[in-house]
Amino acid sequence: MTKTPEQINEDLLRPVFQTSGRFLVAAFLLGAFVVAAFATFGYQVYNGIGTAGIRRPVYWGFYITNFVFWIGLSHAGTLISAILRLANATWRRPVTRCAEVITVFALSIGAMFPVIHLGRPWVAFWLIPYPGERGIWPNFRSPLVWDFFAINTYLIGSVAFLTLPILPDWALIRDKANGWRKKVYTVLALGWRGTPRQWHRLETAMHIMAIVIIPVAVSVHSIVSWDFAMAPVPMWHSTIFGPYFVAGAIFSGIAALIIAMALLRKFLHLEEYLLPIHFENLGKLLLTMSLLWFYFVFAERLTVWYGNETSEMAVFWLTQRGSYAPLFWAMLFCNFLIPVPILALKKLRTITGTAIASAFVVVGMWLERYLIIVPSLSRKYLPYSWGTYRPTWAEITITIGTFAGMALLYLLFSKAVPIISIWELKVGLHKKAIGRSPLSAVRGQLQPTTDNAQPTP
Amino acid sequence: MLKVIYGLYPDPDSAQRAVNSLRGAGIDPRDIAVVSSEPFEEYDFARRDAATPMPWLAALGGVVGGVSGFLLASLTQRAYPIPTGGMAIVSLWPDGIITYELTMLGAILTSLLTLLLTARLPNWRIQLYDPAVSDGKILIGVVNPPQDLRVELEKRLHGAGGTEIKEFALR
Amino acid sequence: MAHNWGMVIDLDRCTGCQACVVACRAENNISTVGEQQSAKGRAKHWIRVERYYEGEFPDVKVKFIPVLCQQCDAAPCEPVCPTYASYHTAEGLNGQVYNRCVGTRYCANACPYNVRFFNFYNPVWEKPLHLQLNPDVSVREVGVMEKCTFCAQRIKAAEIQAKAEKRELKDGDFTTACAQACPTRAIVFGDLNQPESKVSRLARSNRGVRLLGELGTLPKVTYLERDSWHDENA
Repeated sequence: MTKTPEQINEDLLRPVFQTSGRFLVAAFLLGAFVVAAFATFGYQVYNGIGTAGIRRPVYWGFYITNFVFWIGLSHAGTLISAILRLANATWRRPVTRCAEVITVFALSIGAMFPVIHLGRPWVAFWLIPYPGERGIWPNFRSPLVWDFFAINTYLIGSVAFLTLPILPDWALIRDKANGWRKKVYTVLALGWRGTPRQWHRLETAMHIMAIVIIPVAVSVHSIVSWDFAMAPVPMWHSTIFGPYFVAGAIFSGIAALIIAMALLRKFLHLEEYLLPIHFENLGKLLLTMSLLWFYFVFAERLTVWYGNETSEMAVFWLTQRGSYAPLFWAMLFCNFLIPVPILALKKLRTITGTAIASAFVVVGMWLERYLIIVPSLSRKYLPYSWGTYRPTWAEITITIGTFAGMALLYLLFSKAVPIISIWELKVGLHKKAIGRSPLSAVRGQLQPTTDNAQPTP
Repeated sequence: MLKVIYGLYPDPDSAQRAVNSLRGAGIDPRDIAVVSSEPFEEYDFARRDAATPMPWLAALGGVVGGVSGFLLASLTQRAYPIPTGGMAIVSLWPDGIITYELTMLGAILTSLLTLLLTARLPNWRIQLYDPAVSDGKILIGVVNPPQDLRVELEKRLHGAGGTEIKEFALR
Repeated sequence: MAHNWGMVIDLDRCTGCQACVVACRAENNISTVGEQQSAKGRAKHWIRVERYYEGEFPDVKVKFIPVLCQQCDAAPCEPVCPTYASYHTAEGLNGQVYNRCVGTRYCANACPYNVRFFNFYNPVWEKPLHLQLNPDVSVREVGVMEKCTFCAQRIKAAEIQAKAEKRELKDGDFTTACAQACPTRAIVFGDLNQPESKVSRLARSNRGVRLLGELGTLPKVTYLERDSWHDENA
């Protein structure tokens, strides 16, 4: 049974037009956690940053872990959308929007943490370069100011990259909707019609953005890593941090994407659109990133161990054998020892398999960020000042709140916008394709192929 | 006063036949209107846009952004010079990062702006459109057809496989 | 010629009595944080006396080293502050501008000497301790980083006094609170740009070492010690 455009419309617009009870329950529960997190932040601002567990010498803890983690997760969209778009890999079509949404929301959440962790968040705006009566500008030599520029550039780019291809789908909803929905989507669609000129301009803009957003994403997580690498702290001041963090970001991003796709497939009944081949391909990418991540960790630790520098070895043994050893080995299990067999064996590289591996990776990558930040700070150069960090209820609540917030944002997004890019999917089904893979829509489901340049049927 | 007679076509092949047929009747390509719910870059009827200078404009926007970034960093640091860590007041490595980020931002914003301006968005006024396009139909029409050719054009539109022939008028 | 403030601490004279710690607290309005917060590692000691034990009982030796802000010439805490709250003054000090501090705590992480202290809550002086506040020094609010300033208020007061009296600042006109309180005169403060000042002469001593000098921070505190009790450094 071939999918006609009307059927595709109906399938993919159903979540937009119909709201199930399950949706409302989920939104309510997630919303409750988010409200709790906001209330906690308010409490923290009112009472003082001491509500969190940070202390001398571990002045950064959960909040900065979350900051790096969420910014890292945001590299999902870029890889899938931009790189696969430029590589003309057609299997990406149902997946691009899911990925781009993760980027925008993860970035927004991550960008909140520099404000959450501040001692005086009410003056956070001093990092914005504006001419003020104080006559002073931000310190452009500070990695935190680089963060400001990089994250904002990436956020603006990602929002553009996400919302531009949504315009035609909003026009679609506008045509199908009635009542208040029609009014809202008429405004949102900006009067989009679909003339050849508009399509051409849209695709050119997306092509340019795909080219530009990739180096931006690389720079963003490099700059975040330099928040650590620029300080003379044992096992922070390492040249490997830039590439290491970017690889880790892409790694966690793909894992998050697989989880999001698995959940969407189940709850929005997208079994005929998000196919096992998609999970297979992403699973192979995840496997590659897991191996790459392990290579970076190995290279870094080998260099430290071999160099045998006193202060660095204190941190090295603390993570490998000392009080942080349980977390360290858990991280290795979650990021490498469990995912690699699952993803390497074709029999296990199913939708469930890749989703399980991805869940482990997400946990493992969170642990990795924590283990980079906290052990180094707790064992700096002067042993008299060593100290142990313990998170408080405030940090834990806010952390849980951000995970709930991500899920909630995703949930709300899938209600406002079709989570699979409808027009891009339809383009992939074109029978006659010059320089594109034809998709066989003949026997059964949509079967994306990756071989190019096949003659027209 | 805009008047368009158009047909709705179920697939791109019939749409292409319609366009060919209209051209055969002597209609200027600029008077042929096409509206579709997906791009059909591989078909001739959809390849009617002039080459866009968007990539060049994006590159230009990047240059402007980059220069702005460098000026922002160097001029402000010189206006209120505050020494830190033994580094130069205008240190090129960090200023390079700011320059780079604003270069990319300039390219992104320029692309966005160019898209909106040249695609003439947003435009909420009534324009040539048919909701059937959302169901996958391709609209091929003739803008302001000469009165004496109307019957001939309707016949050609129908003959190419047009399921409905309609008229759109805008006063 | 501009001043270049520096310090020499003679470890062979230091008895570990912590009079410097107390004097510094009194001079600079450093609040106590209470038992619970201290246990959490949030106590503030702009100058602290580190104790290191060597050997086994009964041949135990204790080494004392007072550690305070080294006012590094290549301070790692300065470039990382996004708001220029930490910067290098014209007189060679590492200045901490409380009003600019937004509380990112990056500077404290970057400092290898751990001499930066953060106000996790608004400081409290329970009555009647509020009467001991020094009117020449500000009180820092929650979320602001603070550290030793080489008693910048005393430096400023002495400079103003000398200018009013139309004379140059002489070595010994004033000193920091810690140097003033030290009973063995282990701490010496002065202008390194005056070659004949006490601090300059002592800094040239062959007993002089720098703490963590190998990191390249160019600290301006010279420690004098006869036997080297820690790893070789510059």
